[in-house]
Amino acid sequence: MLALEFMAPAMFAALVVFLIIGLPVAFSLAALGLVCGMIAIELGIFPAQFMANLPYRVFGILSNELLLSIPFFTLMGAILERSGLAEDLLNGFAKLFGGLPGGLAYAVIVVGAILGAITGTVAASVIAIGVIALPVMLRYGYQPRLATGVVAASGTITQVIPPSLVLIVLADQLGKSVGDMYLGAIGPSIAQILIFLLFIFILSLIKPKLMPPLPKEARTPFGWDLIKTVVLAILPSMALIFVVLGTIFMGLATPTEAGAMGVVGAMVLAALHRRLHWQMMWQGMQSTMNITVMVIFILIGATVFTLVFQGVDGGKWIEDLFLALGADDAVTFLIIVNIIIFVLAFFLDFFEIAFIVIPLLAPIAKDLGIDLIWFGVLICVNMQTSFMHPPFGFALFYLRGIAPPSIKSSDIYLGAIPWLGLQLLLVLILIFYPEIVTGFLDKPAIQDIQAIEIKLDESESGAQSKQTTPADDPADYFKRK
Amino acid sequence: MNYLLALSRQIDRMSWTAAQIAVVLVLVCAFISVGNALSRYLFDLSSNAWLEMQWYLFAAIVMLGAAHLLRTNGHIRVDLLYLRLHERQRMMLDLFGLVFFVIPFSIMMVLYAWPWFVEAWLIGETSANAGGLIRWPVKILMPIGFGLLILQAISEIIKRVAALQGKISLDVHYQRPDQ
Repeated sequence: MLALEFMAPAMFAALVVFLIIGLPVAFSLAALGLVCGMIAIELGIFPAQFMANLPYRVFGILSNELLLSIPFFTLMGAILERSGLAEDLLNGFAKLFGGLPGGLAYAVIVVGAILGAITGTVAASVIAIGVIALPVMLRYGYQPRLATGVVAASGTITQVIPPSLVLIVLADQLGKSVGDMYLGAIGPSIAQILIFLLFIFILSLIKPKLMPPLPKEARTPFGWDLIKTVVLAILPSMALIFVVLGTIFMGLATPTEAGAMGVVGAMVLAALHRRLHWQMMWQGMQSTMNITVMVIFILIGATVFTLVFQGVDGGKWIEDLFLALGADDAVTFLIIVNIIIFVLAFFLDFFEIAFIVIPLLAPIAKDLGIDLIWFGVLICVNMQTSFMHPPFGFALFYLRGIAPPSIKSSDIYLGAIPWLGLQLLLVLILIFYPEIVTGFLDKPAIQDIQAIEIKLDESESGAQSKQTTPADDPADYFKRK
Repeated sequence: MNYLLALSRQIDRMSWTAAQIAVVLVLVCAFISVGNALSRYLFDLSSNAWLEMQWYLFAAIVMLGAAHLLRTNGHIRVDLLYLRLHERQRMMLDLFGLVFFVIPFSIMMVLYAWPWFVEAWLIGETSANAGGLIRWPVKILMPIGFGLLILQAISEIIKRVAALQGKISLDVHYQRPDQ
């Protein structure tokens, strides 16, 4: 039918137009879905009852326990940002590495990694690190570009390191368990940290002037006292990492509950630093509420849009597009997808990409035999770049907010570019070495993949894979219902 | 017009009140979730009612906060062009979005969700889980939330029309929310 063939591309084109002229994303998606749904019903493409699914779908979003982790992790981040935790960590590690050229940069990367393992939101990390580290780095003669670049990248890495909010949302969209997603992200997180450290190391050999070591008087105390400072700084973080990540991996808590415990943990920590007060909490809660509503409304809009888009065979249209591009094997497909996401990330944030683009791509990836955990982690690594793109990247935007006026915006933008390259380097590595992701998955999860691959044509593959997962697998707590 | 502007202020106040409730619920919800995890682990106690309470509150946060977010221009957009528009152009664009996107979609959702709530109310539907909660309070959240959204959209339309006529000044500043 001619009309049917035109529906999907027309919907897509209209969406692009509405988004670019700046209409709110959530309502553009919803209204477009609604209008096209009515047209499709009128044309007899699908029955009128098709749209009656809508309240069930919206209700399904509201009753999704996994999405409840969004407010929890956001609130936790907002409290941590002001709790003084990052301050202690940076202080300790700066003294530990300070004597080396690039020592402060190493400290920032390590602290970024630790904060990443505690919290799930990028804003919290970038702001917490930037406020403290940036002035210090500048005072001791770091090149502004290098200083802003390393802070932005180290804060952004939060989104790859479990318990990342991005991974939770991707797990939900891909229909995978959050636990597996987290396990799959361990390898890439370590790889990304090593790549960053290595970059600083090489740069410090070539251009040590960009990152002078701290003078001796800035590095007191020494010896045992120094070790004591570092250990004392790191203990609360370890406790928080256990409370959040440990309980998830040990199966004691769902990611949602772990996020809630992280909120309480962050409050305790802020109280220990005498920084817990009602005004700070209220601000955090307010911005948490705003972000939660914003994100869930994008998801509601995307649900309406996707429902209708799939109803008019949009999935097949996208698949044909990829085939036309020559993406009939996994590697080509992944490369094309990553280029598309890299480009989209200039305009869209990760929530929009996750809710609009991922549901369209996941079925194709599955058909090509791509492990969806690998796929998800790969996309998560790639979406780091959406925070780092000049001029709209969020991490840069936060930095602009906290950087002293002496730093030019152009420094922030140019400083981000090498780190963008390092993030893309990891994407490339992961495409060719999926073992970095899959190697950390439990055995049952790997059986899972085989079961899916072998039994692709049989409808029972889902039931099969469920049986191979042991009952005490933490993942069972939060398998998609 | 003055009458309409008074109406708009009433609506804004209502959305604000709903949003304050949503803000408080964020913390309440976190505490309930911690309580669930601790009681399950420490005392081996697990209550379906409290587990369901978590997402009832989540639904409440989203539905009660949506209208206020519309007022504060917090629903995210691609700001590539939007930031370059003049105030009047922004208001025109907003009017288009409110009239053709927000209101029709919200009306549709109310129309779909209302009978659904009525049914749950009439048959006294409860959760399928043992000891689960009664369902209508969470199902009524959808018509309430989208109802508030319709009202807020009307309020925003009134304010923008008034501002375009030069009767009031309106801040249409947009900043992407932190995340």
